[in-house]
Amino acid sequence: MAKKICWVIIFITLALNVVMLQWTIEAYLGLEFDLVFRYTVIALVSSAIALITLFKWKQVEYQKEESAN
Amino acid sequence: MSEQMKCKKEKHLKKDDMLNLKDNINRFDDLKFNRRAFLKTAVGASVALGLSTLPFSVKAFLGDFEDDRELVEIVKLEDLPKGSSVTFNYPSEKDPALLIHTKAGELKAYNSACTHLMCPVFYEEESEVLLCPCHQGFFDLNNGHPIAGPPQRELPLIELEVQNGVVYAAGRKIRHG
Repeated sequence: MAKKICWVIIFITLALNVVMLQWTIEAYLGLEFDLVFRYTVIALVSSAIALITLFKWKQVEYQKEESAN
Repeated sequence: MSEQMKCKKEKHLKKDDMLNLKDNINRFDDLKFNRRAFLKTAVGASVALGLSTLPFSVKAFLGDFEDDRELVEIVKLEDLPKGSSVTFNYPSEKDPALLIHTKAGELKAYNSACTHLMCPVFYEEESEVLLCPCHQGFFDLNNGHPIAGPPQRELPLIELEVQNGVVYAAGRKIRHG
């Protein structure tokens, strides 16, 4: 179950970062710099969440493997 | 296949025998490792996308911001009858722009580089639209938004001020309305 949640979180962060990149570019082209900063912060937080989730997933995944061996 | 049988089968092969590649294929492992690799790639893509927003912020932070309130003279109003247009450059000499005096008597100004592929946009007097002739892109005269053709983004709006019969450009909004 925990692994499935990790998968879901990672794919949500992936989708969010795709949208954030598009919005950042649009805001940059529109010279809306406050929005550029906001979207960058969201994207970086989302990336950090993805990484933390990956570490959590690794912990669960390889723990299971080791205990099976 | 048991380990014993496997060893017997591989006895005749040399250690560096590259033909023994079929033993690398194990359907179960293949699927399992692909699943893992897929998730790791997804995380890598997510992080890469997240980090790729950073240069825009850095450039926005370091870049020079436009002084929106600098008045730049465009033309005397008496030289611009209704239903006519004049070209000028704003905010810099590299940014071509178009000032239109509509048939209704309103003044509208936009940067005239088409937001599709930067071709110059023209004022079409008969139908009162802005036309990019390169790929038949049409923009609404009232708000600069695309109404037909390939352009997706609006033309940057130039804010105008009229003082003593002279039209001035007073600022620019790239995204508007």
